[in-house]
Amino acid sequence: MRLRNLFLLDMRFQAKYGFYFLYVALTVIYVVILLALPQSWREKAAAILIFSDPASMGLFFMGAIVLLEKSQHTPCAFAVSPVRAGEYMLAKIASLSAISLVVAALLALTAGIAHLHMVLFGTMLSSVLFTLLGMMVATKIVSLNQFILWTVPIEILAFIPAILHLWGISPAVLKNYPANLCMDMISGASVSFLGLFCTVILIGVLFMAVRKCVIKMWQEAGGIKL
Amino acid sequence: MKPILSSFLQMLKSVKRDRMLVAACVAPLLVGIAIKYAIPFMEEILIAQTNRREILRPYYGLFDIFFSMITSAMFCFAAAMVLLEEHDDHIESYCSITPLGKTGYLISRIFLPAFAAFLMTGILLPIFHLTPLPPAMTFFFSLTGNLQGVIIALLVVTLSTNKLEGMAVTKIASVTILGALVPYFLPEPLQYTLAFLPSFWVGKSVCDQKLIYMLPAILETAIWILILLKRFRRKMP
Repeated sequence: MRLRNLFLLDMRFQAKYGFYFLYVALTVIYVVILLALPQSWREKAAAILIFSDPASMGLFFMGAIVLLEKSQHTPCAFAVSPVRAGEYMLAKIASLSAISLVVAALLALTAGIAHLHMVLFGTMLSSVLFTLLGMMVATKIVSLNQFILWTVPIEILAFIPAILHLWGISPAVLKNYPANLCMDMISGASVSFLGLFCTVILIGVLFMAVRKCVIKMWQEAGGIKL
Repeated sequence: MKPILSSFLQMLKSVKRDRMLVAACVAPLLVGIAIKYAIPFMEEILIAQTNRREILRPYYGLFDIFFSMITSAMFCFAAAMVLLEEHDDHIESYCSITPLGKTGYLISRIFLPAFAAFLMTGILLPIFHLTPLPPAMTFFFSLTGNLQGVIIALLVVTLSTNKLEGMAVTKIASVTILGALVPYFLPEPLQYTLAFLPSFWVGKSVCDQKLIYMLPAILETAIWILILLKRFRRKMP
């Protein structure tokens, strides 16, 4: 019940600050770009667009979301409410992933990528990974510029190998690298069980680490340790 | 002039504290090196893989256009983030009633960073370009690239009321630079539907090899900036 309420609250928050409007506009722009590209380019372009935008929106927006919550003293309220850090995180992951999945489905259908279920599963995994990473950074920073700066290494480590992998410029040993695996799935390709297992384990480890960061942020809410 | 410089230096200190200043200065160098060496290297690999004569080479001009925008984008983006933080903390209200005034505040926060980026682009572009660039072209690339950065910063601070909306607007404002792709991928006359974007004319100038198209690019940029400035000044307390 609490999780459902948090999820709905996050969706209302995202609607209020124009996330849905933004992604409707961006989806229209991306669809136009995809349709303007030669047919042979569309699948790869769609995979890059999905991976670098809807799938990674958590990494891009989490800093601003958490900073805005801090400026509105929301962490103080969470700190004294029965809400658990895990529920807070799950609600954010689910609400952002919902947008990612809808946008990814539309782009994949436009580009004619086969195996839509694989695209959506890959988008879901990427979205969870990026949202957790974004949340980890967001709990540590005090300004937007700091957030943007600290997410750059993550973007370099995630985007460059994955885009090179999509073009086949990647050593075989990196086939199971989580970013490459997600890119494979988003482009509609099948993946190995080992790679999938490693990615799920990574998500589990990240979830536990981020949970600790969120608890610490709540404990320090208002500038004092509760 | 003194209040403007002092306000600019105060912003630099804030950006320096976040290490964003170092990043904004180093990032164009790294991007320049990547464009100069990684793109031709990727072209070789792709040609070897696909047995085609060229894949990325016809679009080298586009890489030059995006490089001309990157320094300004970094500087103006960092400045826009400071403006958003200051808006949330109501600092702009206080600044506007000091000798700095609204105009001085805008100059110190947006136009001085853009001017610094213009100088930096003018130095870096002749080093890292991929296509032959005569000095006039380098000048116009630096100018239009930096004015594009000003447009993005003004769009962010004009259309948003807090950090989160600012990030959302940043995303959509950044799309305006994609106008440069249009002349390469859309046939005439369909491509003119996006002629309201200044970056479209920069792309057209490179694609058609005609410097004259820089004129509508500069004119449109001026119109965009004037409209946004008017809206921003109305929004300021």
